[in-house]
Amino acid sequence: MGSDEAYNFVFKVVLIGESGVGKSNLLSRFTKNEFNHDSRTTIGVEFSTRTIQLKSLIIKAQIWDTAGLERYRAITSAYYRGAVGALLVYDITKHLTYESVERWLKELYDHADPHIVVMLVGNKTDLGSERSVPTEDAKDFAEKNGLLFLETSALESTNVETAFQNVLGEIHRKVSSKEVTRGSISAVSLSSPVPRAAGDPEEKKPCCRNL
Amino acid sequence: MIKSSVNFASMMSGTLESLSGLGEDGSSIGSDSEINGLAVRRTDKYGFLGGTQYSEGSDKDIRVDVARQRELKWLDMFNNWDKWVSRRFQKVKLRCRKGIPSSLRAKAWQLLSNSKELLDSNPGKFEELEREQGDPKWLDIIEKDLHRQFPFHEMFAARGGHGQQDLYRVLKAYTVYRPEEGYCQAQAPVAAVLLMHMPAEHAFWCLVQICETYLPGYYSAGLEAIQLDGEIFFSLLRRVCPMAYRHLKKFKIDPILYMTEWFMCVFSRTLPWSCVLRVWDMFFCEGVKIVFRVGLVLLKQMLGSVDKLREVQGMYETMERLRNIPPESVREDLLVQEVVSLAVTEALIERECSIQVRKWRESRGELTHQPVRRLHGTRDIHEHKRRPQHQEIRPSFSCYSFRKKTVKEQKRTWKQKTPRSGMRERKGGGLLYSAS
Repeated sequence: MGSDEAYNFVFKVVLIGESGVGKSNLLSRFTKNEFNHDSRTTIGVEFSTRTIQLKSLIIKAQIWDTAGLERYRAITSAYYRGAVGALLVYDITKHLTYESVERWLKELYDHADPHIVVMLVGNKTDLGSERSVPTEDAKDFAEKNGLLFLETSALESTNVETAFQNVLGEIHRKVSSKEVTRGSISAVSLSSPVPRAAGDPEEKKPCCRNL
Repeated sequence: MIKSSVNFASMMSGTLESLSGLGEDGSSIGSDSEINGLAVRRTDKYGFLGGTQYSEGSDKDIRVDVARQRELKWLDMFNNWDKWVSRRFQKVKLRCRKGIPSSLRAKAWQLLSNSKELLDSNPGKFEELEREQGDPKWLDIIEKDLHRQFPFHEMFAARGGHGQQDLYRVLKAYTVYRPEEGYCQAQAPVAAVLLMHMPAEHAFWCLVQICETYLPGYYSAGLEAIQLDGEIFFSLLRRVCPMAYRHLKKFKIDPILYMTEWFMCVFSRTLPWSCVLRVWDMFFCEGVKIVFRVGLVLLKQMLGSVDKLREVQGMYETMERLRNIPPESVREDLLVQEVVSLAVTEALIERECSIQVRKWRESRGELTHQPVRRLHGTRDIHEHKRRPQHQEIRPSFSCYSFRKKTVKEQKRTWKQKTPRSGMRERKGGGLLYSAS
């Protein structure tokens, strides 16, 4: 993961949702293929990256994970800055974590780029017998709000890869179809190991010419 | 040092997997041996079974005769504690900087923080708090967090084990004690460190002192105190290490992105364990100044030279370095030496604090929690308690703790206290305590 690694894009994706829904384990499953039953609580911000290939492009996903406790929302504006994707996670066995999804969505739109790609993620499908949020409810909610939707299990590694891939793919689609404004594109933080000032062309990377 | 061992099989299910966390079959658990067919692993001398804070035994143990000498000196201080603090505080400070003997650490921390006195003057209070039902909102979050504190420490590894039970008792008691504050996740590792050293009731009063006297407002709703300290910290960095300052500024890395966990957990999740203990020894004696200094030393070490900056050309690269400080890059003695010699005083922190409070008010409006003051370690606490109640706010440097007050209450307080305390109104409406 050296800084000289070649890639076309860096996409910043944030993980949000209530405390204990499994954000950190989704992150570690996707970036390191690890799962910890007793991972430490997240205090402040954690993050990790993984580089994936999407068609002919190399995309570096920079995934930020934050504390879910309400108290920490006071300090999250720096966290949302530049994010182009978000996974809004709830626990399918804890209805309360689903009920707070709307609040999180508002929080997200208050702080992030309006074009941000959002996926609603119902995590912990491995605990299917304790399910308290019906898939259809969440799916409907996602459709109504223009969100992608998937249910995952970080423990069993179900759909985790797909969830992130879909979000990254959708971000790429938006970026390349120029659905996003110029201003938002600069928020994508184009793949330079040394970020440049907005508008400063980056000759070495082919992707910049596409934009 | 005595090494203890923990029998994996005796732990509750779910634990083994998390402790290994490295390989499905637990094969990567390092120096495990097989005894009676059960995997047994030695802890390090601090009780860690693994993880990033496991000590590989590279720490040098202090010579036995030196350790014995130090213990005797500390025991002597314990016998005349108030006198030592009021008359020979420099010596107390020096001894804390050298490291408190591990056998006496618990008592020393309780004396340094004055939590011992709270404990003694509130008999039965902890039990009373425990008996209360507690707010389910907080209890639910606390329960979720119990198995997520130092999962690699023998005391907290087992689900439902005595460590996790005590943690629950302490954290719950605090939410009952201060219902308006509730529970903040960073309090859990702090309480856990205390529990590694002392029983629950003692840990509770020590936690109270940390939350209310040393780091007031750090765990309160809105997290204003930690944000302010982030700004103070960044401003101090400009003086201490302009190179690191410029680098962080260039990549727009807000202090809040890397110092939140450092400060709120007093480095307990950041440094090798031997360093954590040395930092806490100094912190209890000298207060928040130590937290600032340790943070500054770390930034200096990681971003303080052209060579080092070359490796972290980018926001992500820089953040990654700050989030994962390689244990081998932090040597206990060097860290302490640098922390001790850094010219960041209480006065400087206080001055910077009033500047940042003013800036905050100019840019973001009034603080939700009114600034009062925090106490800078043992001597400050000692002097504070000897002062009569009505002179609670003394003419010292400006600072803040965060106690919610109604507007009416504030006005009343200012009116009553202004003439006595040497506090004066600033032009901008901000408050400043004039230096004595």
